[in-house]
Amino acid sequence: MAAAAHTIDSVFRALADPTRRLVLERLVHGPESVSGLAAPFDMALPSFVEHLRVLEDCGLVNSSKTGRVRTYQLVPKRLREAEDWLAKQRHLWERRLDQLDAYLLEMKERRK
Amino acid sequence: MTIHKLNPKLDLVLERVVDVPPALVWEAWTKPEHLRHWFTPKPWTVKHCEVDLRPGGTFRTIMGGPAGEEHDVAGCYLEVVPQKRLIWTDALLPGYRPSANPFFTAIVELEPSGKGTRYTATAIHRDEEGRKKHEEMGFHQGWGTVLDQLLEYAKKL
Repeated sequence: MAAAAHTIDSVFRALADPTRRLVLERLVHGPESVSGLAAPFDMALPSFVEHLRVLEDCGLVNSSKTGRVRTYQLVPKRLREAEDWLAKQRHLWERRLDQLDAYLLEMKERRK
Repeated sequence: MTIHKLNPKLDLVLERVVDVPPALVWEAWTKPEHLRHWFTPKPWTVKHCEVDLRPGGTFRTIMGGPAGEEHDVAGCYLEVVPQKRLIWTDALLPGYRPSANPFFTAIVELEPSGKGTRYTATAIHRDEEGRKKHEEMGFHQGWGTVLDQLLEYAKKL
């Protein structure tokens, strides 16, 4: 169960970024090459490829290479998992506790 | 010690270790002036927070959403053991009066860990029906529209 929770957290982390969400929205319409995906973004290619890597690492997309062209496609199963009610609750608690931990360090700092 | 049995389909356990003494962690969980800073995931905020720290005493938060929506959660504490254990629920209102829409019981346990604190947050939820009700209330804390739309798309694939 801990391993599953870890994976779903990586999905939520991946989804937290607006560039990556836009890429996913694009892929909803079908597979696309790296250059096709990168075209709408004003971003250096290596940074963009890093976003693709994050999406692929958490299993939201996969890719295949034909000749020199790498094509990405959506893995719908992962997105459906992210919709799971308990995963949302977990994400909510994770974020709540992230905020708590950051706040605690501030409290400690103030009282020195 | 623990009386609760967890159901992996309904319940959550989160464990954290922070480099802050238990006294401070306890304060953050039990004082409104601290709770309002962290209790609600952004972009939601805590608009109002009431704490009467004793069994049967009020724990109420009114959370405000980015579009002006409000979510009022009222319940009471069940167990208060300073710097060790805090249990509250929305199944009972202040003064132990049964509530209309019970949904969860939360347990926070603290223990010293070196100079810091290890704390565990356990959320025990109601059954499937309770979940549905909770979702119908439109409680989508911190969930952006874009993401919701994306998930809608994904369902159709």
